[in-house]
Formats: sequence, structure tokens, C-alpha cells
Amino acid sequence: MAMTKSRRRRITMIIRYAVLSVWALIAFFPIYWIVSTSFKIDTQWFAWPPFYFPNPPTFSNYMNVWFGAEEYTSTQYAISSQKPLISLWNSTVIATCSTFLAVLFGSIIAYGVSRYRVLSDLRMFQLLMLRMIPPIVIVAPLSLYYTAVGLIDTRTGLILVYFLTTLPYAVWMTKSFIDEVPREVEQAAEILGASRWRTVFEIVLPLIRSGLVATFLFILILTWSEYLLALIITKTNVATLPIELSKYQGSTEGRVYGRQAALAVGITIPLMIVGVIIRKHLARGFSFGMVRR
Amino acid sequence: MAKLDFSRRTFVQGGVGLTVANFLPGTTPFAHAATMEESTIAAAKAVGPAAVNGMIWSPYLVPMQPVIAEFSKQTNITIGGVQDISIFDAPQRAMAEALSRSAQFDFIHIDSNMIPSLASAGYLEPLDDYMKKANFKIDAVGDYGNFMTYGGNTYGIPTDGNVHIQYVRKDLIEDPDNKKRFADKFGQELKFPETWEENLRLQEFLMDPSKDLYGSGNLRNRANGVTWWYMIYYSAGGFPFDDDMKPTLNTPAGQYAVDLYLQDKKVNHPEANTWGTPQMIPRIANGHVVSCQYWDGTAKLNENAAKSKTTGKWVYGLVPGSDFSGKRIHRSISSPLAAILINKYSPRKAQAAYMALWLGSGKNSIPIVTDAVNTFHDPWAKEHMASPLVQKAYSPGGVKAIEKNFQVVSPPIYLTGFLEFQDALGKNLSEAYVGQLPAKDVLSKTENEWNAIIGRIGRNKLKSDLKSYKAVMPKRLVPA
Amino acid sequence: MAVAAAPAAGLPPPPARVVSRRRAIRLFKISLLSPLIVMFALVLMPALLLQLYFSFHQWTVYLGTWWDAEFVGLDLFQEVLTDPRFGWAIVRSLLFATGSTIGCFVFGFLLAYLMYEPFRGNAVYYIIFILPMLTVPVVVAYTAEMMLYQSGPINDILSRLSGTEFKPAWLSDPNIALATVGLLEIWNWTPFSFIIMLAGLSAIPKEPIEAAEILGASKWRIFWEVQLPLLRPVILLALVLRFLEAMAEFPKTWALFQGGPGSATETLPIYIFMTTWQYFQISKGAAMSYIVMLMMIVIVLLAIRLLRREKQSLDKMYEQPSKAEG
Repeated sequence: MAMTKSRRRRITMIIRYAVLSVWALIAFFPIYWIVSTSFKIDTQWFAWPPFYFPNPPTFSNYMNVWFGAEEYTSTQYAISSQKPLISLWNSTVIATCSTFLAVLFGSIIAYGVSRYRVLSDLRMFQLLMLRMIPPIVIVAPLSLYYTAVGLIDTRTGLILVYFLTTLPYAVWMTKSFIDEVPREVEQAAEILGASRWRTVFEIVLPLIRSGLVATFLFILILTWSEYLLALIITKTNVATLPIELSKYQGSTEGRVYGRQAALAVGITIPLMIVGVIIRKHLARGFSFGMVRR
Repeated sequence: MAKLDFSRRTFVQGGVGLTVANFLPGTTPFAHAATMEESTIAAAKAVGPAAVNGMIWSPYLVPMQPVIAEFSKQTNITIGGVQDISIFDAPQRAMAEALSRSAQFDFIHIDSNMIPSLASAGYLEPLDDYMKKANFKIDAVGDYGNFMTYGGNTYGIPTDGNVHIQYVRKDLIEDPDNKKRFADKFGQELKFPETWEENLRLQEFLMDPSKDLYGSGNLRNRANGVTWWYMIYYSAGGFPFDDDMKPTLNTPAGQYAVDLYLQDKKVNHPEANTWGTPQMIPRIANGHVVSCQYWDGTAKLNENAAKSKTTGKWVYGLVPGSDFSGKRIHRSISSPLAAILINKYSPRKAQAAYMALWLGSGKNSIPIVTDAVNTFHDPWAKEHMASPLVQKAYSPGGVKAIEKNFQVVSPPIYLTGFLEFQDALGKNLSEAYVGQLPAKDVLSKTENEWNAIIGRIGRNKLKSDLKSYKAVMPKRLVPA
Repeated sequence: MAVAAAPAAGLPPPPARVVSRRRAIRLFKISLLSPLIVMFALVLMPALLLQLYFSFHQWTVYLGTWWDAEFVGLDLFQEVLTDPRFGWAIVRSLLFATGSTIGCFVFGFLLAYLMYEPFRGNAVYYIIFILPMLTVPVVVAYTAEMMLYQSGPINDILSRLSGTEFKPAWLSDPNIALATVGLLEIWNWTPFSFIIMLAGLSAIPKEPIEAAEILGASKWRIFWEVQLPLLRPVILLALVLRFLEAMAEFPKTWALFQGGPGSATETLPIYIFMTTWQYFQISKGAAMSYIVMLMMIVIVLLAIRLLRREKQSLDKMYEQPSKAEG
């Protein structure tokens, strides 16, 4: 009896590792493929049979894409006047500013909801669902309106829409942290005569510091990778990285996979690092009060 | 015309260089004080310095840069901001500019077939006055210069011919073994195809998928495939509208073109229905294609030993024709034909216009069309055809083929609403090619969709556009 | 609302301090929400109104400016609703969203179920499993293009594993194309379902499971009769959110297919995008957008009802023990 039980446990363990490992391979292979392609020379990008390892590995894709290095542009596929470093800066500014605004306003509103029920449960869900209306239904008039008021192709324009569209996530996520702060702390502050704003900024928000960081990074993931709004609202001045990447799509002469991959790696790595840092909090960002701990 | 052709050919044969080529037709050879280029500079200086912004794809811009630098040095007119966007995406972005009446761009570098739509939307500046002041003429081969006019005005300066020529693998059709097998099977000689039917038969005969060699390298994707269809349709004597702007697609000529278009499936790569130029060009250059029609720039790639495995292995010539109408007709096509158009709302439009003229002179554009790395601009001017540099880049046979095809070059639908008309047709052809739509329904379905577009844009407006469309169509049945 | 209405009910007037406190709270609430409302009114509201204007006015971009577009009543809505392409786009979107939602859920749940009890290597698997979600969607599309061509690495691996020539044309077979995007969506977003389900499973109280085990219930029965009912709210959440996000999927479909081959991947967002930005039928696009918006609002309202009910019952469940303690 005991024998069979431990044997059964071992078998379940083996099955578990097998299933998990298969999925880990599935999850990891495309990421491996893009990284390895970024180190391949051009004849190996699109070959039959495929090259599973770059041989010999080369940095030329990175040099060409990120630094427009002349020696690499004059010999082959040149797409040198694209400016990923500028796009990187645009992406950084737009993503961090809009995320900062979303977290700032989101956490204050979340405090109001948590303590004073500023928004009822229903309103909270409506707020969340606002985000779920496909952005495609609004981009056309938005771009006309933006043109009229001079916000088209500006960082401010993108920051504003990103802020508004990510706010629901910010409210929900920060609320889950604020709910965990015991009320006694604030009540003490209030009795001591602190204004409500001071209570928020000096007592509550510092208490959920790590939660705010998690929320910030979580929303950064959303704003960093946004494509459709950026596609319509940017022109020459403020192209973000996903837009920059999509420019390689139409390049002729050959699939410039290596170059695309080198750019894609640069776009994705920051997000992966961020995601791994906040991995413990990801569940909160998605669970909207449905999971109690 | 015939006389000019003669003189050009003598120059070509004599290998006369650049300096003499400057005095070719288009300028006044003997009684002149200043060349066309000099008067362009003079006119540009008169409007003062500026930094002009534009929408242009970097593979096109890069080879232009030295030429622009020379212009900037003389006039202080420079390039400011640039929106780097692919030629296939540019039409949509330009329309978005037009409908918001934006002054952000001074010039756009775009498919000239967008001229009717953009001019109707009020976005384009007519260039005739600037051309007069600069003593400038578009010195194009054949009737190609007409492609820039709409409603009697000139709206664009071409920088790229982009005409389709026929590519056939010389080593395969000259192979004695192939020749014998072909003769045994068909009782005819294996040679360069003259009609669509001959071409298809040749493709089918020589293809060998087991060696990754396919008969055709034509595009059949949703965005580009339709370009090939026009050639077949026009050469069968078809024209898409009657004088009352009623669609005339659903005719025997139309159905003939659809059937031939779809037969390509037998000889093309199974993934061709989603492949665009990025996928197909390397296949052509690396020897996986027997025969196709393609943009002439690919000849330059094929003949570049550093990038191609098929250098010297091609015969270039006239695209196939058809006897369907009772007469032999050949029709090549130029689309997207990259040209510089000027924004009417721009405060720097004069500066941008003169820069366009500078770039559009035959002499100035020789280094642009011969750039070996960014092989996007293809020759279009008479001066190009005589230039030894062009001859070297495209091979003499290539240049001859380009000239020939230019004489029968036609546009896609040259009307206001081009994008809508073309996409409806392209979508239905693509659905038929992948088997979602029966071949017999393609044209009737397209006609229905076109009627809705005509209703929206207005029949009378389009009827007046039709004059410009017909003016752009070639007059010769076959090249002279 | 409830707070404001309370004093009116014939009670003795509350002391001045309480009144001022209430007023301060109300002021606080207003100042919390007003920046948000102002932003909304300045940024999104004009666009929504403009959209409404367009959906009743036929603007042909080649004929004039938008402000003198012709009023056409409900014509545009009629045009959209009788457009078979629009109908197919809805069908494709629903198919895509349903398929990918189920896929994400099944895989996400399976993985979470295998991982919610601690075991060696747990953390490493977790990190690998969340990576797809952290990949930018456009990058997913281009990576797919690099891997899925007919003689590409994926088909190569599948052929070697199965020992037969396995060569589906992922990107160019119109019968497969939509499923290809669906698989990408599943690859991309399974981590989302996985994370939620893992959190849900870990949060289930141990006592009922242990009790059931002592009573000799099989794992299977425990799963069906104890764990699953407790997980209902989380499962609903995972399904609803994923479905709504999948309905709006644009970057992967666009970057990879632009609606092709044929019109195999022409989903709602793609069709609206093409109508507006390729054919410049701004007005038709606007009418379409409103119809889609209405459709989504109906779905969303249903979703809200479902989610709220679950959340309320959950709240109740967690309130009771704390009351009992107090």
C-alpha cells in the first residue's frame, strides 16, 4: 500500500515535470529564436534547413540597427536613416510619463475608493470595462481632433491617451494594496490633525511603496508595447519602438530578419526584466479583487 | 519621335558618355545660355533658403542624399524632418495628411497614381509654373511623363521608373537538353515567351519544385498581385470603365485575365499568396524562379554579383502580350511609380518644388538610379538609357528591355479613389487565388463594389477624371 | 449618495464638527475625481462626439472638408448592417476571441494546477512561463513570420518529431491563417490565465480540501466538488477579460496578415482600420465603430453583472468569518 502510494507520487511528479517542461520549451523557443536570429549572418535568416544556432555569431545586426554603423550599411541591406535610439528615447519618455500619471492619479482615486467609496463597486467595474472597448473604434476621430488642437505627433498627445487608457488598471491594482493597509494608521494621523491630502501622500502611499513600484512597472509593460494608437497618432517626431520595428516589415531586397530581430530584442528585453522583477505582483494586476490572500 | 529614338540609339551604340548626353532632347542644345539644372538653381535661389520636411522611405532617400547635398550647397535649401515610411504604406498616410489639411510635410514621395485622389482632396500644388520658371521638362522615355499630369496640370516629378519587364532564365531556355525535350513535347522551339500562354507553358515545363525551382516569381499577394492582373487585362484589349463610368470588368477580356492570373498558382511557390517583394526578390536573384514579370530594379540586383547567384543568367525583354482582342497587344505597368508631390498647404512649397525639379533632372538622377546598395530607384529618363553607368548597372540587355516596356507602359486605375478601386479588385482576386471565391464571381463582385464607390465619389466627377486616365494609357499596341 | 442622503431623514441635526467633516469628505471626493473628469472631457469626449457626427454625415474625403459633410440620417448604419464583409468580420472576431480564450484558459489552468503546490524548480518554471506575456505583440508577429514559413524551424521540428513530412502553410493557407493568429494569441496570453489561476488556486483555503481528503475523496472529486466551485469567480474573470482583449486584437493580425490571405484574417479591428485608413470611408468607419461599441458595451455589461455577482458573494464569504471573530 505504502509502496504504491509513493510510486504513484513519483509518477505524478514525473508527469508534472514532463508537462511543465514541454510548455517551458514552447514558451521559450520563440524567444530563443529571435535572440539567435539577431546574431545570425544574413544567409542564415531564412534558410532550409533552418540554422538553429548562429554560426558564426555576429554583432553586425545590432551595430547596423542601433547605431547605423556605416561599414554595415554600405555592404548590404541599408536601412540606416531609421533612428531607433530616438525612438527608444521617445518610448522611454512616453511610457514613463504616462505610467507615472496613471499611478499617481490611480492611487489617489484608489485611496478614495478604498476609504470613502468614491466609486461604487459598479462604477469600479465600469471603469475597468472602459478599458475593454477596442481602441480602434476611437482612433480616427481622435487623430482628427488631435490634428485640430495640435496634439498630433506630440509626446503629450500620446501620454494623455495612454494615461487615460491605463488608469483603470492603476486604480484597481493600487486599491488592492491600499485595502491591506490598516485604517488605524490614518485615523491616528487624522486625529493629530493632518489633512486628508497629507494623509494620502505622507502616510498611505509611502506604506504601499513596493505596491506602487509594482503597479508602475505593470503599467509600463502596457504602455511600452502599445501599437495601434501610436501607429495613428505619431508621424515624424515621436515614433515609438514598436512603430520603428514595423518599418522593417516592408523592406525589400530580402527579409531583413536579423535586423528586425536585433531591434526586437532591444524592445523586449527591458520588459522581460521588468516583468521578472515584479513577477510576484503580476497576479494582483490582473485579478481585480477576485483573489483573496 | 522616331528621329529622337534613332539619335538615342546611336548614342547608346557609340557608348557616348555623360557630357554629351546632357545635350539630348529636353534642353535646347545650341542656343541656350543656361542648362535646365542651372536655371533650377537660379529659380530656387530666388525663393530663399528653407529646411523642407517630407515623407519619404529611407531606401529611396539614402541614394538621393549626395544629390540633395549639392543642391543645398548652392541654394541653402536643405532637408529638415523626414517621415520614414514604406512606399506601400505611404498612400494611406498621405491621404490622412490630405484630409486633415496638414502643413507638416512640404513634399511627399509616393506612388504617382495617388495624384488624382490627393489633388481632388486639395492637397497638391500644381508644378507647371515652377517648371516654366526653371525651364524644366520631364525628359521621360515613351509617354511616361504623362503619368504626372491630372486635369491638365503637372503634379509630380518622377524619381523612379519602376516599370515591369520580363525576366527569363537564359541558362534554362538555352540548355540543349531542355530545348530538345521542349521540341519533342510541343513541336516548337523553346524561346523567350511572347504571349501569356507561351509564358505559362514555359514556366510549367521548366519548373522543378523538388529542386526548389518554381516556374513563376510573380506576386500574388493581396496588396501587389493586382498589378500583374492589369497587364493581362489591358493586353487583352480591356479597359475598366466605359465613357459613362460604368465598370466594364465583367467582360470576356476581364474573365480571360482572371483565368490567366489564377493559373499562376500551378507554377508559383505555394506560399506566394502571402509573399510580397521582401520574400520574392531574393528568390528571383538566388535562382529559384524560371520566368516572371517584375519591377526593373530587380535586374540591377540580379546583375550585382555581390548579392545575386544569377548574374549573367537572365534574358530581359518585353512583358508577354495577348492576341485575345484579335490584335497582338503588349501592356507593361508602372506601379507604384515613386514621384515627388508638393503639399499645397505648405509655406515652403516653392523650395520643395525646386528641390524636386533638381532631383528629377535626367542628369542629376543618374547616380540615384544606379546606386548599387539601395536599389530602389529605377531609370526612367532618356538620359538614363544612354548613360554608361546605367548600362553597367542594369546590363545592356536590361536597359533595352526597360526602354521597350516603357513604350507600352500603363498605369493602374488612374482615378480619384484609386486606393478603394484597387483594393476591392485586389481583395477579390486574392480571395479567388486562395480559393475563397469562385473565379467567375471575382469580376461581378468587384463591379458591385466599384458601383458603390462610384456612387460615393460621384459619377460626374469621375467622368471628368476619365479623360486624364485615358491620356495616360499608351497608344501603341506594341513597342516601336 | 447614501452618505449625503442620511442627514435628511428627520434625525436631530448632527453636531457641527460632523457636518464639516462630511463636507470635507465630499470636497475631497470631488477633488479626487475632477481631474479625471476634466481629462476625459478634453481628450476622449470630443473624439466620441466627432465620431457620432461622422456616423450621421457622409464625408467623402475627395469632395470637401469634414465640416460640410452631408447629413444622411441612418443611411450609414444601414450600409454597415447590410454589408456582408462586416458580418464576416464579426464572425471571425467572435471565432478568434472564443477560440483563443478557451485555449488560453485550458493551458493556463493546466499549468497552474500543476504548479500551485510548491515543488523543486517552481520559480524557474514560473519565470519562463510569464515571458511570452512580456513580449511586445508586434515582436510576436515578426517572430512568428520568422518561424512559421513553410520550410521554417517549426515545421522542421514538427516533421522530425512526428517522423513524417509535416508542412502546413501557417501563413498562407486561408483555412489556417486565422487559427495561426489564434495560436499566437494563445502563446502570448496563456501566462495571463496562468497567473490568475495560480493566484486563485493558491488562495483556496486548505481546510476543506484536507477535510475531504480525510473523508477519503479522490483527487478528482476534490477538484470537481471543492476546488472548482471556489475558483468560479477567478475563472470567470480570466475568461471575460481575455475574451474582451481578444476582440480588440490588432497588432499581431495586422503586422502578420493585414487581413489576408484573401480575407481570411479580416477581423473587426482590421476591417474598421481598413475602412477608415485605407479606403478613407471615415463615415462608414464611424458607423461601424458605433455598432461595435454598442455590441461591446452589451457584452461588457453582461460581464460586469457576472463579475459583480461573483465578487459580492466572495465579499460575503470573507466578511462572515471576520464578523464571527469580532
